[in-house]
This record gives sequence, C-alpha cells and structure tokens, in this order.
Amino acid sequence: MDRDYFQCVVWIKFLLFFFLESDDTGNRLRFQLELEFVQCLANPNYLNFLAQRGYFKDKAFVNYLKYLLYWKEPDYAKYLKYPQCLHMLELLQYEHFRKELVNAQCAKFIDEQQILHWQHYSRKRMRLQQALAEQQQQNNTSVK
Amino acid sequence: MAMAAAAAGAGVGTTAGGGGGERSSTRDRLLAALEDLELLARELIEILAISRNQKLPQPGEESQILELLIQRDGEFQELMKLAVDQGKIHHEMQLLEKVVEKRDNDIQQLQKQLKEAEHILATAVYQAKEKLKSIEKARKGAISSEEIIKYAHRISASNAVCAPLTWVPGDPRRPYPTDLEMRSGLLGQMNNPSTNGVNGHLPGDALAAGRLPDVLAPQYPWQSSDMSMNMLPPNHSNDFMLEPPGHNKENEDDVEVMSTDSSSSSSDSD
Repeated sequence: MDRDYFQCVVWIKFLLFFFLESDDTGNRLRFQLELEFVQCLANPNYLNFLAQRGYFKDKAFVNYLKYLLYWKEPDYAKYLKYPQCLHMLELLQYEHFRKELVNAQCAKFIDEQQILHWQHYSRKRMRLQQALAEQQQQNNTSVK
Repeated sequence: MAMAAAAAGAGVGTTAGGGGGERSSTRDRLLAALEDLELLARELIEILAISRNQKLPQPGEESQILELLIQRDGEFQELMKLAVDQGKIHHEMQLLEKVVEKRDNDIQQLQKQLKEAEHILATAVYQAKEKLKSIEKARKGAISSEEIIKYAHRISASNAVCAPLTWVPGDPRRPYPTDLEMRSGLLGQMNNPSTNGVNGHLPGDALAAGRLPDVLAPQYPWQSSDMSMNMLPPNHSNDFMLEPPGHNKENEDDVEVMSTDSSSSSSDSD
C-alpha cells in the first residue's frame, strides 16, 4: 500500500488556506477538500499512516482536527457520504486514541470491527429472509 | 404542756408565715393545717384529762387552745373549698388538653397531606418542564422527512454504510474511502497532476486484476450529483498553532452544480 503519497496532502491543505481564503472559488475548493479529507478519516489504515508519520503529535494538526468538528452540524453533515468519519473524528479528539493508532494492530482491529458492523444489516436481512423461508416451508407442510 | 402549746402556736405561726411568704401548694397547706389541728386536739385532750385530776395552773389555757382550734378548723374548711375548686379547674384543664391534643393530631395530618401534595406537584411540574425542553429541542432540530430519506438513500445505495449483499472477504469494497478512491478525489488530483487526466486510475491494475470494467468517467465517490455546492466551509484563522476561536459560517451562496457521478464501483485497494 503506497501511502507516502498522502504525506503531502495535509501540508497542501495548510498552503491552500493561506492562498484561497479570500477567494470565493477558493472557498468552494476548500470546502471540497475538507469534505474529502474528513471522510478519509473513516479509513483506519489512513489514520494509522498519519499516526506513524507523527502528524498527530503536531499541535497545529490537532487544532485542525478540532476545527473539522463543524462537519457534525446537520447543515454540513448532509454532504458526507461516509458519516462514520464523524465518529472517528470525535475519537481523534482524544489524545489516548491518537497515541493508540500508532499500533498497526489497533488499526486492524478497528478495520475488522468496522467491516463487521458494515455487514450488520445485510446479515440481519439474510436472517429475516431465512426465517421467512422456513416459516413458509412450515406452512406448506402443515397445509399438506 | 405550756411548751407544747407554745410549740403549737409557733408551728401555727410559721405555717401561716410560710403559707403567705413561700406560696406552698394547697396540699402542703392542707396537710400543715391537719397537723396543727391534730396537735391542738391532742393538747386540749391532755389539758382536759389533766384538769379532771387536778386544778389547772393556767385557767385560761383551755379557752386559748379552743380558740386556736376553732380558728384552725376555719382555715382548714377554707382550704378544703379551695382544693375542691382547684380540683374542678384541674379537671377542666385535662379536658382542654385532650382537645388540644386532638387538634394537634389534625394539624399533623394536614401537614403530611400538604407535604405529599407538594411533592406530587413538584414532580409534575418538573416532568412538564422536561417535556417542554425536549419539545423545544425537537423543534430546533427539525428536518424535513424528504431530506432525511434522500440522504439515507444516498448513503445506503452506494454501500457506504451497508455492505453489498454479495460481499465476501476478498472484495475490495470497504465502508470507508479506499486508497484508490482517495487518489481519485480532488486531494489526490492536486497532488498528482502527472497521472493520466482521467482520474489517476491506473488501468493496468484494474485489467490485471480482471475485475473492473474500464471506468472512464472521473470518480468522485464523495460528491453527489444532485447536490449543489451551496455550502462553504467556515472561516478560520490561518494559524492552527493557536487555539482556534469559534468559527463563523459564511453565507450560503448558490454555486453552479458540480457535475460528478456518484456511481460507486469496486476499486483496487492496493
């Protein structure tokens, strides 16, 4: 997994703020960038990557994470495709969590749990379908 | 004899003085009077007994004692009357005390009931206030059901929050933006202008994996096609080294629609 790629991502954002703040187009662009970035935080592997590169130790970055909390408001949240990122964002406010993310095991655990939770509804639906099928079978046998 | 008489007289004197000065109880006075009477009666009987045998040295003593006796008797009678009156008053007092006790009990009952009522009312008022608060809260956060349904559809249809029904381990789709999706997005584009203009999607990978059809349209999985970018990010200071102040939201401007597809597709994650 080539992640060195994203090393520059965060620094680009800081530069952009400086250049684009007063410009309306720039603001729209910044909106999109922040939208993408905050959703990237839903990826535990990416978080592990950031932790290992020491981004979470940077005070400016931590402040930026705090600033990103505005995505929790409904006016902004409605643009999120991956709303799970908000939960990760909330967790990231805690230093303990940020420190734990350096471990690859932690990221793997979070990943597994996320996937399991992701499958929750399809599993539930399958169980319901199975139950329904069984019930129909029972009805058929009893009618006969 | 003379000494006895003098002692009786002295006893009477002190009793009278005591009665006046010390305010002894009626009982004590009655008892004292009885003692005096007893003494005087004994004296009289002694004198009479003696005078039967021999002549009296002091002839006037009997009459003196008699007078004292009569006086004492009178006092005694008065004290008895007083005692009877006091007894009646005491009886009345007892009756009144009973009445007072009953009233006290009534008051205590009422007090208990009042306290209970107050408690119930306080609870009711508190719950009503809580309810009002929650009503207010609900009103503040009101969102149209249509919007919610639209949003729910958006996040489910793209398998962002619910796994596709055919998902098996090994499927590269994930509940979060994968590597490839991240690279295809705006952030990725800014960092990688050198990749092919489509979306940085290396067709070799997809074909090698033999999974995907060629996707030529740019993929921005996180932007919906029907959304106009009305929103702008909040204002902030450039310097994130300082504690950020509360940010102000800019006014919403109408912006032209960004024409991107929200079609989801499997992408290589590696």
